[in-house]
Amino acid sequence: MSGSAVLEATGVTLRYGAVVAVDAVDIAVAPGVLHGVIGPNGAGKSSFMDALSGRRRLSAGKVLLGGEDITRKKVAWRRTHGMARSFQRTSVFNSMTVRTQLEMVARRNREEDLDSIIAAFALEAYLDQPCSAISYGLQRSVDIAMALIGKPHVVLLDEPGAGLSQEESVRMMDHIRALCTERDVAAVLVEHDVDGVFRVCDEITVLSLGKVLASGKPAEVRADPVVIEAYLGSQA
Amino acid sequence: MSSVPTAVQTDDPTVVPKPDDGGRGMLDSRVSVGLQRRVVLRGLIVAAVVLVAGLFVPDLITSSYYMGVAADGVVLGIMAIGIGFLANRSGLISLGHTAFYGGSAYGLAIATTHWGWSPTSAALFAIVGGTLLAVAIGALVIRSTGFGFLMLTLAFGQALYAVSTLTSVRSVTGAFDGISVTYPSDSTTFLGLSQADLGQPDTFWPLAWICLVVVAFALWLVGRSRFGVTLEAIRENEERARFSGYNTYLPRLGAFAISGACASIAGVLFALKASYVSPDVLGFQLAGDSLIATIVGGFTILIGPAIGAVLYIYAQGKFGDTGNLELYMGLALIVAVIFLPGGVTGWVVEQLRRLRTLTAGRKEARRS
Amino acid sequence: MNLAQVLNGLALGALLMILSSGLALIYGLRGVMNFSHGALYMLGAYFAYEATNQGLSFWLALIVAPLGLAIVGAALELGFFRRLQRRSHIEVGLVTFGIALVINRVIVLIWGDDTHPVSAPKAVDGTTNVFGTDYPTYRLLIIVVALAMAAALVLWLRNSRVGLHIRAASHDTETSGILGINVDRVSLVVVCLGGALAGLAGTLAAPYFAVSPGMGQSILITVLIVVVVGGIGSVGGAMAAALLLGLVQIMGNVWLPSAAVLVPYALLIVVLLWRPTGIAGKRV
Repeated sequence: MSGSAVLEATGVTLRYGAVVAVDAVDIAVAPGVLHGVIGPNGAGKSSFMDALSGRRRLSAGKVLLGGEDITRKKVAWRRTHGMARSFQRTSVFNSMTVRTQLEMVARRNREEDLDSIIAAFALEAYLDQPCSAISYGLQRSVDIAMALIGKPHVVLLDEPGAGLSQEESVRMMDHIRALCTERDVAAVLVEHDVDGVFRVCDEITVLSLGKVLASGKPAEVRADPVVIEAYLGSQA
Repeated sequence: MSSVPTAVQTDDPTVVPKPDDGGRGMLDSRVSVGLQRRVVLRGLIVAAVVLVAGLFVPDLITSSYYMGVAADGVVLGIMAIGIGFLANRSGLISLGHTAFYGGSAYGLAIATTHWGWSPTSAALFAIVGGTLLAVAIGALVIRSTGFGFLMLTLAFGQALYAVSTLTSVRSVTGAFDGISVTYPSDSTTFLGLSQADLGQPDTFWPLAWICLVVVAFALWLVGRSRFGVTLEAIRENEERARFSGYNTYLPRLGAFAISGACASIAGVLFALKASYVSPDVLGFQLAGDSLIATIVGGFTILIGPAIGAVLYIYAQGKFGDTGNLELYMGLALIVAVIFLPGGVTGWVVEQLRRLRTLTAGRKEARRS
Repeated sequence: MNLAQVLNGLALGALLMILSSGLALIYGLRGVMNFSHGALYMLGAYFAYEATNQGLSFWLALIVAPLGLAIVGAALELGFFRRLQRRSHIEVGLVTFGIALVINRVIVLIWGDDTHPVSAPKAVDGTTNVFGTDYPTYRLLIIVVALAMAAALVLWLRNSRVGLHIRAASHDTETSGILGINVDRVSLVVVCLGGALAGLAGTLAAPYFAVSPGMGQSILITVLIVVVVGGIGSVGGAMAAALLLGLVQIMGNVWLPSAAVLVPYALLIVVLLWRPTGIAGKRV
């Protein structure tokens, strides 16, 4: 990747005691690019997400947002300065109505055009219901909608398809693809659904045991013999 | 986090924001968040009516004993709604509000008796001092939640109690003997009330009642404001609030300070009325009892704790002499927590709501 | 500070150790801070008083009172903890707060408001010469019993099958249930044991402090502080913190008698500022 990357992380390492969950991973994502991160269970995908988003402190490495070193910045600062994330286990404000929470996040992150986000996720009909009363799929939509509020430069999506049906998951991935291009966001997408990632992502990183196994365009990654042997081989 | 408020905040049902369709779209972002002028105005009118109506209570209650119960209940109630506000808005259960209640009571007593201040400036000093104490203690304890928070607040409250009883500060606090509040001269008044007036329930009543209504209205405003929404978000999901760009420490500290300010106001009123302050105002007993009053009254409704406080003062008069108060308090707490999650007031509101849907259903059936 | 004072500190620390390890065990498993622990301790002391009053020997009371409290513990587990396990922990904690008030009052209704002395058995009523200092034998007994109990408890938790289940269930209740550990049964054992330990501490304390209403509440706050300082839910941390607090308290009495009552609070605040999760470092 060139200097046009808005998110750039180098040597990202996370250790829990003696276990190295993420081992010197590099990533660079340019605006409008959807970058998929795949890997078998325990490959360190979620840990990598936590490292990038500031949920966990890095043991080593650097994270740059628009060229600025944000490795030591708190998550609230990151959010208001252009880095947002969604969660694998849906994370919304249960007691609050959909409207209240979206508006609250919109005000905090200076979003002018909340209506278009609400429309993009077709949440109009559920605005006045508390989040605890809507379906799981809709809660996922609220979660991801909240991450897109305020035109962040970088969005980190942790398994947006988790817990959704195959059909819902496909629709969600297509949707994210479209929004990413439309809003010119650099998105990192951690996903279990390998086919989905190959279908929608511009670039793919394959993690295994915390290390980068391969990284590049979907076609290159798919053709990579190491990947085929270690990971895709069993699924293809 | 594992905290109490499982029940959704049930504000006055008349002020639920209805989407205003007068020319604005349904997605208008100004509709539900923050304070709308119309809602505030309606709340202000309700508060004013309640305030004026309450001033006639001494005309209704002729027994000076029951007037005393009402006045003491309102004073404790101001502290209780502060504790309830914190519990409801931040999900934090405090056993340490006696630090601010007792701290400000001592503040008033010391400033008038030892420094010769007028009761008015002493009261101001005590309320500001109690609130600053809440900020200082809050800064240390507000990061913890659940039992950690409960025990830290308890420890700070009890530490203050221990300080007040030290013989080395006897000249200031009077240790276990306490302080008899003495005004600089017999003619000094507090907002026109002499020390004797303040000691009489019916003349003291307007002061306590106005404070209660003003505090309750202020808390209602805070709860409905953007700040209140932020607090709710932090209570519901602290991590997501941070990942939505909110610093979660300062709002929680703010809620704690507001709640501590309520306790400080109550402490000053107590000292004004009783004209005597002893370590009991910082004691574990009061810490526990005010929390029980808050929970039994029910803190999902703003004024629930105040009603719990009045019930408590009534029970104290009835069972305090036989010593069985503790027994009944314990039983009430157990029953309230297990069977009445919203306390007494929460239960009443729930029954009213059920009745309303029932009658509405019947009307519907008759029509069709 | 002389040896007698150090031993006094150890004796106080020993009592706190017995009490706080029971409290920490219950917290570890049920996630509930048991505010009735002080009341259970007081009940243990009154059981011991009643037993010796009925002509039983103190040694027998040392067995009977903990057994009685184990039964009370079982009642608490079956009547409250088990029924309320789906409720938030702090709600259950508040219920135990109510239980404490009820027990406190029931004790007064049965045994009255007065302070009752309980005499130590003849064999340990005198003094023993410890490195040239004459020291009350009974207090040495407290220290010995507490240390023996602590060692036994740690060994039991480490090596027995039940101990393994307790540690597993405290670590992750849900997974342990899936793995076939009967969490309810483990919890019954733990709460009974916690009650029995409180009873043991109460019995040991009876000849030391005499029994009186209010003894439960005053020690409860100290024990809560011990458990927080030790790291909530950690038995080892609680034991270490109990001994530390006992010694620091006595040092305070000697060097700073005017402010010694503040010592536990000061210790709590210092430890929490230095290490917010307590000595053993479990999450608060």
